[in-house]
Amino acid sequence: MEAARPLDPSRPVEIYDTTQSALEKAILGASARQQAITQNLANVDTPGYQRVDVDFHKTLRDAMASGAGLQSATFSPRRDASAQVRPDGSTVDADVEASAQARNGLEYETLVQVSKARIDIIEAAMGR
Amino acid sequence: MGLFDALDTSGSALSAERVRMDVTAENLANAQSTRTANGQGPYRRKEVVLQEAGAGVGASFADSLRVARGVKVAGIVQDPSPSRRVYDPGHPDADAKGYVSMPNVNTVTEMTDLIGASRAYEANVTAMQTTKAMFARTLDILK
Repeated sequence: MEAARPLDPSRPVEIYDTTQSALEKAILGASARQQAITQNLANVDTPGYQRVDVDFHKTLRDAMASGAGLQSATFSPRRDASAQVRPDGSTVDADVEASAQARNGLEYETLVQVSKARIDIIEAAMGR
Repeated sequence: MGLFDALDTSGSALSAERVRMDVTAENLANAQSTRTANGQGPYRRKEVVLQEAGAGVGASFADSLRVARGVKVAGIVQDPSPSRRVYDPGHPDADAKGYVSMPNVNTVTEMTDLIGASRAYEANVTAMQTTKAMFARTLDILK
């Protein structure tokens, strides 16, 4: 994370700051994860299916740590090899997917709410 | 785009589970049928083969998730297990020794399959509702 800069009157004000673009990227990540979980639930009865997941937290953490900027962060689904294998070769557990989905849905909602609150502040400053 | 794809994925699962329920219902309906539609032998139990939908071998994994998603019915196959033999000399389809070949349908298996399909259907409806709720939240930003 870059350190907070002191206000410099000669610099243009950034309406869309790092936090806002990080929030947007996180929303995209949560949406990608939702797609992966949906895919797993759709294949709950497919023998031999290997579950997929999107670890967007790690992607964002790495992008922020590397200093390369958040724009470079892309969320790609990966096969999850660590999951418990069922007798039919599938690694989907409906309960695990359901709780992951509930958690991801709440996280998405939080991100959207915070994002909207920040936009509302900017709008208030604009006198709307 | 994004969450719309998730809706399609859940939709594909709903129709696949519906096919499973249809086939199970057909098996139960024909549990006592000693003749098939073309008049040969007893009814044989049918089973649905599900397959992960994707762009196929060769395409990168990320592509396979982007292009086609969800699950598809790869085919409906016949269960090759032997048919039940029931002694019933009065039956029109009895053989010389008085045995009738009955379908290889086991009611308990079918009921278990039915419950499984129904639960999977419910899980996917829930997934669809979550996706819808997430989408509705995003629209709230515009308000």
